[in-house]
Amino acid sequence: MNIRILLPATALLLTQHAFAFCGFYVAKADATLFNDRSEVILVRDGDRTVITMSNDFKGDVRDFAIVIPVPVVLERDDIKVVDRRIFSALDSYSAPRLVEYFDANPCQPVVMYDLQSVQESSAEMEDAPRKKSEEKAKAYGVTIEAQYTVGEYDILLLSATQSTGLKDWLIDNGYKIPATAHDVLDPYIKSNLKFFVVKVNLQEQQASGFDHLRPIQIRFESPKFMLPIRLGMANSNGEQDMIVYAFTRTGRVECVNYRTVKAPTGRNLPLFVKEKFGLFYKHTFKRAWRREGRNAVMLEYAWNVTPSWGGMKCDPCVGPPPMQQEFVDAGVNWGQGPNGGQVFFTRLHVRYSRDKFPADLVFQVTPDQEQFQARYVLTHPAQGDLSCEEGQTYLEDLYYRRVRELDELAMLTGWDVAKYDNYTNEILRRLPPEKRKGMFAPPLSIPHGPSGGSGRKNLMVAAAASLLLLMLAVVQRRRSAQLSA
Amino acid sequence: MPPGHSATEAFRWFTSDGRHYQIVFLAGFLGYGIFDLGWDAEVRRHLTIAATCLITQAFFIRMQGLKWSTLKSAAISTLGLCLLFKAGSMWTLVVGAFIAIASKFLIRVKGKHIFNPANIGLLAAILLTGDAWVSPGQWGSGPALVFLVGAAGMMVVLRVGRIDTSAAFLLAFAGLDFCRTVLYLGWEPEVWLHKLTSGSLLLFTFFMITDPMSTPSAPRARIGWSILVAALAFTLSWKFYIHAAPVWALFFLSPLTPVIDRIWKGERFSWITQRPLPTTITTNPQHA
Repeated sequence: MNIRILLPATALLLTQHAFAFCGFYVAKADATLFNDRSEVILVRDGDRTVITMSNDFKGDVRDFAIVIPVPVVLERDDIKVVDRRIFSALDSYSAPRLVEYFDANPCQPVVMYDLQSVQESSAEMEDAPRKKSEEKAKAYGVTIEAQYTVGEYDILLLSATQSTGLKDWLIDNGYKIPATAHDVLDPYIKSNLKFFVVKVNLQEQQASGFDHLRPIQIRFESPKFMLPIRLGMANSNGEQDMIVYAFTRTGRVECVNYRTVKAPTGRNLPLFVKEKFGLFYKHTFKRAWRREGRNAVMLEYAWNVTPSWGGMKCDPCVGPPPMQQEFVDAGVNWGQGPNGGQVFFTRLHVRYSRDKFPADLVFQVTPDQEQFQARYVLTHPAQGDLSCEEGQTYLEDLYYRRVRELDELAMLTGWDVAKYDNYTNEILRRLPPEKRKGMFAPPLSIPHGPSGGSGRKNLMVAAAASLLLLMLAVVQRRRSAQLSA
Repeated sequence: MPPGHSATEAFRWFTSDGRHYQIVFLAGFLGYGIFDLGWDAEVRRHLTIAATCLITQAFFIRMQGLKWSTLKSAAISTLGLCLLFKAGSMWTLVVGAFIAIASKFLIRVKGKHIFNPANIGLLAAILLTGDAWVSPGQWGSGPALVFLVGAAGMMVVLRVGRIDTSAAFLLAFAGLDFCRTVLYLGWEPEVWLHKLTSGSLLLFTFFMITDPMSTPSAPRARIGWSILVAALAFTLSWKFYIHAAPVWALFFLSPLTPVIDRIWKGERFSWITQRPLPTTITTNPQHA
């Protein structure tokens, strides 16, 4: 099969997003490296884990290198390169969605119903000197456990006895590693993790004909179900985004050492949001993430996606459901056929930074099968003549509905919605003056500042203060009881 | 039921029973979860647990002719389960909540129940149905949580007289984890603090392991037993990657309590304050 032919033209566009993930980039030249957003597919079945990392590296491929801690020494067959299209398929299928509904005209009792959906624009070594290099590595306390060429990548699996040796080995072999990485390497070495070091084999890359680096997939057996994000933060102090697409047999995946919260969903929004849905969700996510104290993992989608299961897998579906082959490519080795078991899909969005996410992400598979999607609703007004009595009542209701929609938008995004007053006024103008008089615009709860996080703090402080007061009262009471005795 | 009419008597009634504190604080945490952490979609789960626990307790009250005030203990178990126990199906919740309360009456040695009701109910549901789980991350971590849970927990354990249990467990667990995470592995202290300030760990420390009805009676034995729970929880978490390790450790070590009680005698716990009260509830409830 000639994979080149199958590559979509949009694949190149995806390279606008840089790749960060769990590892850090180590460059041989002073190329500007970006750590903005990464995507990971996690497949977990018992102790078996398959991790696929998207690889949207911008820059000269000679500068590309990543280091990822892994629990075991991987065999050649445990490493694959896969088609990048899996990521775009999973992303578009599970992305936050906007759904449109159309009101029926109350003056024309004809039932009209339509459903459309729009999708969020997805924001987003050679053999001969082998012995020699192994001996050299040993001098650093570094052991080359295995080395393979897989697709366009040269892969080394290293184990080390001390971080200084590993750091020196990487530097002396031309990898430029961040100064702060040293502190992070040590705990991984002591946890008996191995280091999966990847760089591009230029010959293979040229021979492959690909103009981008394909995702790398690794599989291993280990009770550890985690993503080592700390290494990825070694060369970045800012915030990084990671989208995790997880597949299990039993149910939803959640984080055990950070809160997993649901993204805002089921909200009714003004119609004009359709034109800027990408921006809307970006701001909504940011605000929700701030409200949660910047250290929560956001659930964006959770659904049973078993291919043979006939039930509805989304409402609305923003892309075609993942195909059998995409599951197989992602590393799901069950779910085929009528008795193949079920496949549960979880999409998590993590925005992490060094100060708010001090520890690596640890996950667990739960039996929870509750369906969830980040879904937003637009409702188009009824068309045609609305001059009948029901029509006038409808317009009144529509006016208040639009006020609430603006309010919702302001609450979700923090946008100043005062500039959209025409959205409500255009309905008001359609009402006769005598009706208009009795109507008032409820005050919009336009939030100021970044979030409602201060509300939680106030609640905490109030609760703690009342507890202390209660405690003092009890102590006082006991003392007086003792005195009187 | 408050016996008096004045606020002072109502206050005296409230402070006379440690369970009142527990009910108020646990309900407070549940309220915080529902209203601030967004657990509002789980109200049906909470109601199912509450109904099952209270009905089961009422059944045993009628069967064994106990005081109706023992419903307070069922309320504590209900709140404990609401804070910890999650399940896909409502029937799983019913099974877990039933086992929690029934275990108090059916698994007893010398008048003391062996397992903490919420603990056994939850773990029995996980083991028997495969449909239940605990979300250790649901509270998050942070200094505000330490203050909130810590202050409330301190009040309860001071009132119940189980501060030794909480302190011994927390110090032992924190110490062992510090040795591994910071001293041995070389992580920054923040990584260790992140784990220790987890709301789930604190709730366990102040509200589950301190259950006076399933902990050894003799103070010294109790401290030793708490350290053992901490050591097992630590081992389960880093060696076997069990996430809700303290809950499991308590489950495994609870059967040791009657053995310890046999060797080291201690005064049996009573929920009700022994100082004279102008009420009729001065006798110990047979079962709590």
